[in-house]
Amino acid sequence: MSFARLREGGPLRKTVILAGLALFTFWSAAPILWLIISSLLEQKALIAQPPDLSPQNFTLENFSTVLAAAAALGRGIANSLIVSLFSTALALVLGAPAAYALARLPVPRANSIAFLILATQMLPGIAIAIPLFIVISKLGLIDNVLSLGIVYLSFNLPIVIWILRGFFLGIPSGIEKAAAVDGAGIFATFWYIVLPISLPPLSAAAVFAFVEAWNEFFFALILTRQQAQTVPLVIAQFAGQYQTVFGQMMAAAVISVAPVILLAVLFRNQIIRGFADGMMKG
Amino acid sequence: MISTFEQRRRRTGLFFVAPALIVLAAILFYPIVDSILLALQRVQLAGGAVTQQWTGFGNFERLFADAVFWKAARNTAYFSVMEVVLVTFLSLGVALLLNHSFGRSGFFRILLIVPWALAPVANAVLWKWILNANYGVLNGMLKSLGVIENNQVWLGTPFSALNFLLIVDVWKSVPFVALLMLAGLQRVPQSLYRAAYMDGAGPWRSFLHVTLPTMRGVIAIAIVLQTIWSLRVFDLVFVLTRGGPADATVLLNFLAYRVTFNFLDLGYGAAIANIIFALTFLLAAAYVWLLWPREPKGAR
Amino acid sequence: MIHSFNRRTLLKAGAAAGATMALPDFLGRTAQAQAAGLNVFSPLPPDPAPPGAAKFSEEAFAKWQADNGATVAYETLAWPQLHDRMATAFASGAAPWDITYNCGWVPEFESFLSPYADTLPKALVDDLPASSFATTTVGGKRYGTVFTLSLLTLFYNKELLEQAGFKEAPKTWDEMKACAKEMTRDGRFGFVLNYGDPAGIGGTASYWMVFLQQAGGKLYGEDGLPSFKSDEGVAALQMIVDLMPSTDPGSISYAGINDATNVLLAGRAGMMMNWPFMWNAANDPKQSQIVGKMTSAILPAGPKGSASIDGTDAWTIVKSSKNQDKAQKLIEFYLDAEVQKRQVLDTGWLPIRLSVLGDPEVQAKAPNAAVVLEQAKHPYDSFVTADYNQVTVAIGTEVQQALQGSKTAAQAIADAHEAVTAIVKRRG
Repeated sequence: MSFARLREGGPLRKTVILAGLALFTFWSAAPILWLIISSLLEQKALIAQPPDLSPQNFTLENFSTVLAAAAALGRGIANSLIVSLFSTALALVLGAPAAYALARLPVPRANSIAFLILATQMLPGIAIAIPLFIVISKLGLIDNVLSLGIVYLSFNLPIVIWILRGFFLGIPSGIEKAAAVDGAGIFATFWYIVLPISLPPLSAAAVFAFVEAWNEFFFALILTRQQAQTVPLVIAQFAGQYQTVFGQMMAAAVISVAPVILLAVLFRNQIIRGFADGMMKG
Repeated sequence: MISTFEQRRRRTGLFFVAPALIVLAAILFYPIVDSILLALQRVQLAGGAVTQQWTGFGNFERLFADAVFWKAARNTAYFSVMEVVLVTFLSLGVALLLNHSFGRSGFFRILLIVPWALAPVANAVLWKWILNANYGVLNGMLKSLGVIENNQVWLGTPFSALNFLLIVDVWKSVPFVALLMLAGLQRVPQSLYRAAYMDGAGPWRSFLHVTLPTMRGVIAIAIVLQTIWSLRVFDLVFVLTRGGPADATVLLNFLAYRVTFNFLDLGYGAAIANIIFALTFLLAAAYVWLLWPREPKGAR
Repeated sequence: MIHSFNRRTLLKAGAAAGATMALPDFLGRTAQAQAAGLNVFSPLPPDPAPPGAAKFSEEAFAKWQADNGATVAYETLAWPQLHDRMATAFASGAAPWDITYNCGWVPEFESFLSPYADTLPKALVDDLPASSFATTTVGGKRYGTVFTLSLLTLFYNKELLEQAGFKEAPKTWDEMKACAKEMTRDGRFGFVLNYGDPAGIGGTASYWMVFLQQAGGKLYGEDGLPSFKSDEGVAALQMIVDLMPSTDPGSISYAGINDATNVLLAGRAGMMMNWPFMWNAANDPKQSQIVGKMTSAILPAGPKGSASIDGTDAWTIVKSSKNQDKAQKLIEFYLDAEVQKRQVLDTGWLPIRLSVLGDPEVQAKAPNAAVVLEQAKHPYDSFVTADYNQVTVAIGTEVQQALQGSKTAAQAIADAHEAVTAIVKRRG
């Protein structure tokens, strides 16, 4: 058995891999496919058993209805973009130096601090919602996209720190020593040497923070009123007390997921490499 | 000279960490402390105001005598253990598939990301329709394939309902963890495999002795994060079952929500949330202690 | 003088700004602050929403604002999230609204609301069903005004009914059971309902309350303690259990009424209890496969006659509002006869005013209005209390166990009674 054969496997393993990939494709794609089909069907066809997929039932009306209510969806997408970008940018600006320090600099009890940062994620959001609302409303910052973005730091910053810290731990120490010998200060080393080689993990952390902020529902429900409403709240509008217009809701979901997929397509290589670097070592 | 340099590194380190810690504390310190204190109070909405009354550990005593709490705790234990186990193994499997030369196409990467990127609100409603007992597409599909003869009420019995919640949550959670694992796999140096091959190791032994040890850090963080997230599952329960039938799918976080926001029993709800916090903390600490690579240099 | 002149100019400018929808946000806010506008918290259409939030009586609404020197700003939210946002705001003592929508939550939020409805004009009160205030009255004071008559009635598929050999809707429990049994064939079911969510109005417990009242029972006794561990309580639950063999087995998993309604609209269930608003959906060819076959009737009578529950969609005024009088004026505008008429004609939500319900034009457009009006002659108490959510979760969970056959009706009622007694006693 050659080495290449060992890595690729014989006919049996290849068959297993192909079957596995087929299964994986079905498992991931089937619900999504149904989502897209639903967004193109009238409610009447969706409640038939089995669902009535005859061509005359297909329509773009769900999309046109959702787009006609575009004021809400458009504002929601704009708000979500601001909240997500703002929160992601802050998480990186604050998280990268912190992760670097916790990984590379002699910060006392760095491991405990890192675990403490993770521990902030362990109290359910439901528990902190009301006290958080009190603080934000005393500050007069309810229904404000920027305050929502700052609140989102509470879950984005810790995860960003953990992803980046793993990466920084894996940087060979020779690089920093060489910089120090050349007379570069710690800050200069971080800025001119460490950050430029960290673009993949930085973009991976950015995508993570962006997606989480884009999809967050509960804080958005509590902390916004009308102006700062984000996309998930707009999607939820299609499920009322007595009626859920499923096709319209799915059409809204398709529209709202598009920017995230676009981002993922653009960054797909960075996501993989970034996480690889970040998670390499604890 | 060296000690001064060390001192400077230490000062800069603190200066780097401080902003993040200050921001986190500014957002979370008051809410977290307040939630811990609320758990020791009886809170009532009366007379246009919120009245708070210290009760010591009264809420916790009530909790331990509450059959619904224990039911939720049992459900959560089953759900979380199964969730973490399934997500970890399936993600590892998916990552291995996608790391094989057949699976490296960009199509699979994008496919992997879509379920993660889908808004949880829409995801939950999508599955509610898929699983509907009367007009759901799952019943329709299985019936036309001849697998089942009559429609099944997937969310109708306690066992089945809880397991379908589990499947949907696994579906939504696998992509991110699989990405982590895939990334970890790609970091395993080919030279290690070659060395193992030279030593006569077959595929299974090289997976066991090369792949897994190198991936230890990745697997550890996947398990820790997934544990944290599995104990916070809420939106699926809220949309799909509302905790029913007969509280069979009430998970602790949903119970905390129901008590806090539906019953407005803020003290009691905070007590449940604190239990979740303590549970997560202990589990995460145990995993970090058990799974974390002790000496990073040993890994290579 | 100059000072006041400036203020008045500003005020006018502000009002104008408020009237223009397209203006950027910051200008809109200035306008609100200066014209001392009213903030109204409302569900999003198609759930019941007022003029301006829903598309009806918009001209009258604009005129009302101009005449009263008020700007009305709506904060709308999908119905299922309303309660959580209100609860958070009240629990933190910072409710930003003047008027809020309410749905059976009046006793729960009573201490944050004004008992304004005691001072409504007599002519208006006389035109409202007296029992519509049952769910908004706490301690003898009226905190809210129901603005749409929303009672459960029987919706049934006439074609399936006739195929099963019946000419008209069942009038008694026995007829209903027989009818449901006959309709259950060819993959169809006689009855469907959403028993998945135990809580609230429209939850499992509230459906049992319908049968409880039909049996002649009440949830609470004179002393405020539960009184349903009775023959009536058990008979009501037994009736639901008896219907189960002819009920869509998915009912136990349907968490919202729309899940059950879809089965009815697909023609795969013969009957269900439903709210008047769904009448339009049942006759919308895009949503329904049974257009023209849907009929409604009052709910079949139990031992003590027919009975229903009240959806209780009401307007309330927040105690901390600084514009109590103007808020009340606005609610009176919402209840104006002409607005009420447009409400039903343009949105499908029935009016609450008896005179409008009796209007021939209204009855022609909403053929089920007469049935709902007839249903209103029978009891329709929803038994809301401050701990309604908690009580309904306790009862509903027991009802679900009886429906699954893991408890007898008598056992489930006894256990529910015990649980509710504990809840009421803890409330103190």
